[in-house]
Amino acid sequence: MNIKKEKKGEFSILKIQGRVDTVHSTDLEIEVKKLFDSGETNVILNCGEMNYISSSGLRVFLVAEKRAIATNGKLHLCNMQPAIQEIFKISGFWNLFRIFDTEEEALNNS
Amino acid sequence: MGNSHSKHFVVENRIEELSSLAEKIDVLANEWSLSPKITMNVNLAMEEALSNIIFYAFPDKNKHEIKILISLSKSKLTIQITDDGVPFNPLSHDSPDITLHAKERPVGGLGIFLISKIMDDMNYARRKNQNILTLNKNI
Repeated sequence: MNIKKEKKGEFSILKIQGRVDTVHSTDLEIEVKKLFDSGETNVILNCGEMNYISSSGLRVFLVAEKRAIATNGKLHLCNMQPAIQEIFKISGFWNLFRIFDTEEEALNNS
Repeated sequence: MGNSHSKHFVVENRIEELSSLAEKIDVLANEWSLSPKITMNVNLAMEEALSNIIFYAFPDKNKHEIKILISLSKSKLTIQITDDGVPFNPLSHDSPDITLHAKERPVGGLGIFLISKIMDDMNYARRKNQNILTLNKNI
């Protein structure tokens, strides 16, 4: 799994590429934590190239959401692949997050 | 396709093994012409089941082998996972409350729940000091 970091306007964007599974989810957790710890409050997780997620990965997303709430910030997800959307839905995670079709929408909405 | 197929895998009780297993499953899925969706379901169910076993079934922290048998018939795919760890029945664990808001949601408890949603049935047996978890998916 790779994570590319970018800043656009008020948002920090992490572009996730590959599998967010038990082995790799900690890397994502670390990157998200780094952002919030450094004072960023508005984060976009671009999931366009995330092709797999397991419960470990879902857990990292949930922890990120809790952090965003605690920080009074924003966590936006975008570009989620249909198979991944389905995992979010069957696990009951779909309604926990602000999820947008595109990064542009994630940037322009609150 | 009328024939049935089966394949054995053995993994060591280390989380790092899950990545190479996923690659082998992808190769198998290709050989058996499984759809991308079924392939992902198999990978996910295996990862959730195996990570639970690896984390909880071996308090002695020694090296153990976990045996996996995947079988395919015309209408059903079966995954059987056998380990020699302590008695561990994943089905006896509670489901998470998925109506809770993010703030209240506990962070754990999701893996077995996911398996129960993506597979059509699960059963557990303890025989000869082994845990045997069987997952079935109608295809």
